[in-house]
Parts: sequence; C-alpha cells; structure tokens
Amino acid sequence: MGYRMAEDRKNRSDAPGHDLGLERDQFLRAFKGAQLSKEFVEEFEGLQRRLNDLQAENGRLRAAIEADDAIRDLLRKIEALEAEKRELLSHHRRVEELTSDFNARFHEMEDDFANLANLFVASNSLHSSLSPRAVTRRITEVLEQLVGAEQFGVYLVANGGRTLAPIAVVGLGKEGPSPELLASGAVGHVARTGQARIDDESDPSVGGVEKPAAIFPLQIDDNIVGVVAIFKSFAQKTRFSTVDFELFKLLGQHAAAALMSSGLYAQAERKLPGPEVFGDTGR
Amino acid sequence: MADFTCLVVEDSPMMRQLIVFALGRIKDLHVTEADDGVDGLRKLASSRYDIILTDINMPIMDGLKLIQRVRNDPTHRETPIVVITTEGGSADRDRAIRLGANAYITKPIQAPKVIATVKELLKIG
Repeated sequence: MGYRMAEDRKNRSDAPGHDLGLERDQFLRAFKGAQLSKEFVEEFEGLQRRLNDLQAENGRLRAAIEADDAIRDLLRKIEALEAEKRELLSHHRRVEELTSDFNARFHEMEDDFANLANLFVASNSLHSSLSPRAVTRRITEVLEQLVGAEQFGVYLVANGGRTLAPIAVVGLGKEGPSPELLASGAVGHVARTGQARIDDESDPSVGGVEKPAAIFPLQIDDNIVGVVAIFKSFAQKTRFSTVDFELFKLLGQHAAAALMSSGLYAQAERKLPGPEVFGDTGR
Repeated sequence: MADFTCLVVEDSPMMRQLIVFALGRIKDLHVTEADDGVDGLRKLASSRYDIILTDINMPIMDGLKLIQRVRNDPTHRETPIVVITTEGGSADRDRAIRLGANAYITKPIQAPKVIATVKELLKIG
C-alpha cells in the first residue's frame, strides 16, 4: 500500500490533475489502516496488561498452593509428633511402673540384707567363744539386742529331763519362775516335745511368765538340751518379725551346739581335742 | 560425694558388728569403732568425725557422759550424735537429747533405720 501511495505521489507531481476522488479514497484507506494499527496496538497493550495480570495471578496461585502444601506438611509432622508423644508417654508409664517395681524390690532386698546381717552376726557371735559364760552372755545379747526380749530365761534340761535348770534369767530377778511352774507349764511342754510355741498374734510386750510370748527348744540333732523362753519383749517390740523367727531357729540349733561345745571344753579342762577325735571322718 | 567419717561407740561386739554392717551400705562412709566412752573420746581426740553413733549403757563411761564431753569439745561441738539404746522407756533417750544428741535409735536396731538416720543427719541424698 505504501509503495502504491509513493507511486501515486510520483504520478501526481509528474502528472498533476489526477482524479481527486480516487485520491480521497486512497487517503481514507490509508487513514483507516493507521487507525486500525492504533487499535491493534492498543489491543495488544491491553492483552499485554492482561497477560501480566494473569501471570501475577498465576504467581499468587502458585504461592498459595505451595503454602497449602507447607500446611499439609506441617499437619503431617504434627500427627507424627503426636504419635511420638503418645509413644513416649506410654514408654514413660512403663518406665514408672518398672521403677516402682524396682524400688519395691530394692527395699525388699535391703530388708533381706539386714535380716541376713542379723543372722550372720548372731551366728558369728555364738560361735566366737568356747567359754560357757561367754556363750551364755552372747545368747542373752542376741535375745536382748536382736530380738528385743526384756524378760526371758535360758534353761538346760536336767535330771534326765525332769527339771529345767536356768543358766540365764533376765528381767525377772535372780530366780525367775519356779522350776515347778516351768516344768508343768508351756515351757516344760516345749522341753518335752521339742515343738516351739510362739504366739505370733498377741503383742509380745504384754506377755509374762504365765503367758510367754515365745518358747523354743535348744536342740542338737534330735536331742533337746534346753529351752529358751521369752516371757515379754520391750515395749517398742509389739510383734515378732520374719527375722525373729529365723533367729529363734538359729538359736535353737546354734546356741545348743555352742553351749554344749563350751560345756565339753570346760569339762575337759580347756583342753582342745586332737585330730584322733575326728577319726577317719575326713577320708 | 565427699567422704564422711563415722565413730561407732558400742561395748557389745555383736552390736558393733551389726551397726558397721548397716553403715557399710552407705557409700563413702568410713567407720571407726570404739569399745566404750573412754575409747570413743580417745578416738575423737585424734581424728575428726562427721557423725557419732553411741550406745547409752556402757561400762567405764556411758553414752550420756560421752555426749556431754563431745558437746564441750570445740572440734566436735556441732557433730551430729545418734544414740542407740535398748531402753524402751523415754527417760534416757530424753536425757540424751537434752544433752545434745540429735537422734535416737532403739534396739533391736533395724539396718534401714540406721542408714536412714545417718543419711539424714549427713544430708546424703
């Protein structure tokens, strides 16, 4: 179109007097083309703006989607953490239970240890001397200080089993209960039968000669050599414990052996036996 | 934990052995034994102790006299004293507390009670 206009202008300058109507049509066509171009440009600019807007919108939407993903991630993490928390709480409860069991067991073991220590010390004490006086004193020590006996007597079977001879009476004056009372009562019964009689339901601190708290035999194998009678315990000792029963058993066996050994040693004028006494026991 | 020293004054070898057994359960506690009050004073004169456990009824010098002497000793004036006694009654125990004893344990002794009392006075957790 531009080439044609240039041609027209050329023709006009070279040959004036062309048809004005044609020229006008040509001008109008050129003018409309320019207007159209302007409209195209404007439309293009509008489209460009729209594109920019859409790109911006797209960016915003992308960001929102990414934010939603982040929230979903966070929610997943929260769920995982909640599950972990539940697991930890459950684990904590299990550990607490175990700790509680452990503590209870620890206290039990401490008590067992204390009881074993009492038994060891008592046994060790009984066998640490060959003097009848010292052995007797140690028996009374065990009864006083480990069992907590306040009134008690240690008796040996005498006269072929018919009477009980006191070798230690504590808390009852020198004599203590009469031999007749002893022989005819519960003490005599234990001496005859070898069956211990321990009142584990009553308070031993309110006992007495008529109602002994505990009576147990002193035995070597099946031979009853004596009896220990605890008539009354100290005020703070209101019941016998497990270790007391163990101490009664230990005294029943070890005190008898310690007493008889010390008696035989004294009878032999403190002369220790030679190896011949043991014969061939070691072979 | 720092080491602690303890003096046990008891005339009965059996009770001493039992108390030492119990105290052996306390970590880093070093125990010295004395037969009676006089022996106890002799040991207190030659060393410093963090705690003293003493029987009341002893020959030569009883626990009450020992407490009086310890409370007049500048080195051990503040040392905690635990009285161990067979007495169920409160007379001797009260007298011991008036003289400056910090705690008492009645016989027959229980190892856990001995351990707890000593730990409390030494502020061992």
